[in-house]
Amino acid sequence: MNREATLVDRFRSRWSGAGAFAATELRVQMHEGLAIAVSVTVQVIFLVFVSVLARSYLPYTLVGAVLYSAFQTGQRVQNEAAFIRIDHKLHELYHASPLTPEAYFLGLATGVGIAYMLPIVVLFVAAVVIVPLGVSATLVLAGLLGLTWVFVSSIGYTFSTLFHDMRVIWPYATLFYNLFGVLPPVFYPLWLFPAYLQPLALVLPSSGATALAERAAGILSLSAGQVELALASLVTLSAAAFLFALYWARRQVREG
Amino acid sequence: MSGDALVAADVRKVYRPRNASPVEALSGVSLSIAEGQRVALLGRNGAGKTTFLRIASTLLAPTSGRVEVFGKDAIASPESVRPFIAVVPQEGKPFFHLTPREQAYTYLRARGFSRGTAKDRTESALAQMGLTEVADRLSITLSGGQRQRVMVATVIATEAPLLFLDEPTIGMDPFARREVWESLRNLTRKGSTLLLTTHYLDEAETLSQRVYIIDRGKLLAAGTAEELKQSMGGTLRVSVTGGRAILPELGTFGPTVQDGESVHVVTDPSRVQELLALAMRAKLPATVGPVSLEEAFLRVVGRSIDDES
Repeated sequence: MNREATLVDRFRSRWSGAGAFAATELRVQMHEGLAIAVSVTVQVIFLVFVSVLARSYLPYTLVGAVLYSAFQTGQRVQNEAAFIRIDHKLHELYHASPLTPEAYFLGLATGVGIAYMLPIVVLFVAAVVIVPLGVSATLVLAGLLGLTWVFVSSIGYTFSTLFHDMRVIWPYATLFYNLFGVLPPVFYPLWLFPAYLQPLALVLPSSGATALAERAAGILSLSAGQVELALASLVTLSAAAFLFALYWARRQVREG
Repeated sequence: MSGDALVAADVRKVYRPRNASPVEALSGVSLSIAEGQRVALLGRNGAGKTTFLRIASTLLAPTSGRVEVFGKDAIASPESVRPFIAVVPQEGKPFFHLTPREQAYTYLRARGFSRGTAKDRTESALAQMGLTEVADRLSITLSGGQRQRVMVATVIATEAPLLFLDEPTIGMDPFARREVWESLRNLTRKGSTLLLTTHYLDEAETLSQRVYIIDRGKLLAAGTAEELKQSMGGTLRVSVTGGRAILPELGTFGPTVQDGESVHVVTDPSRVQELLALAMRAKLPATVGPVSLEEAFLRVVGRSIDDES
């Protein structure tokens, strides 16, 4: 009984405040409606191009657009965390308080994630209708969205701590999210990617999650080995990135 | 009986920047602050004030030394200290896309206060800081001074037992500064302890019950503003512009402090007439006033608080 109480207390003290800080971030982000609305510009442009140039590929592009949108939230988390720290120095206000660094990270990622959920939901519904997606495929896509969000939010937060100048962050962030979000087979099917590079594509969280979603939707064939590789990689990388972000958040709270 | 809110012993901090020589920002700083006291760290830019405040508030690791907050080890277990402190960071800005009301309220909620308490304390802090009229305007539309007041309001609303304020009134107009001082006095009446850094001599003198003068990472003097002024050895200051030309003669009237072209002479009322006559004979302008903390600072540090060299 005492042991249970202690565990509950420890859990509470570690995570309490995360919800309130997520609500704070959500309020901040919701004041930037235009930024949220234009966050899917690239996805919509690709959808228009594909629907004009190669309509048969539209289901692939649509599923990819949903997952790329989740992938992009990492960039939002990264920019927001860096902006709060570098420009506003607000992280010190929160770090010198009962809010733990882990709750700070999770609250920030959750607030940003929820704010940018709206355009993702629109694309998601479009995918359910147009691809179309059955119940199980819808659930699989939702789960993959969740894992992708965990991965990119963790990576985004960790990256944000490595820079001291916002102007340096922007080009690196653009490079990273385009290199790993647009270049591999996210907006186009895996089988268009060179065969010798396909295992690499399955290992990458963006293209691996897309391949798994497309398989669940019944528009992509994957061998059992390929499914295992993509799923294992996504789960492992997401868990590792999340755990590292928690460790890193705690370590970074006090400068050396 | 109250104890110490903060005890720092032999705190050192050496920054080791890449491609540059190490910089010793703090060289063995030791001080203690009793519960309920308002204490100012007074120093020029780069003196080590912010470094000390950030170490004491668990945001920066020292190279060596010991810091205890309410008896808890702030170096070894900072998480045990954080519930008892709140910090106004230097050059901190509120979320641009939150209103002052949202800023203070959401911060209190993140610290674990109930909705009701957070709401009440937010309103009270905004009123104390004179922010009620702009409470629902986005912070991005506020002036620099108003944003700084939002930061102070956010932190005083916590009523944390120990508050750290790094240059809390920077950018504020004189009226706003007085409002902040009054709010901070109210907080200590309720039992909170304050450590603030400042390079405003009037702020240190008016607000603080104890002043530590710091320069080049070392504490050079400590005491009440009155004690520091009395240590000058007189009650009046005669400032002679261009007085370096007659420095030996001026030195016969009492301690002298050089401030650029001026020489401040601290002396007794009985010798002021004689001193002014000397300045007139040398055709040098002179003014008389009470000894201020500025003379004490100049004497201790050897340079003006505004000297950036």
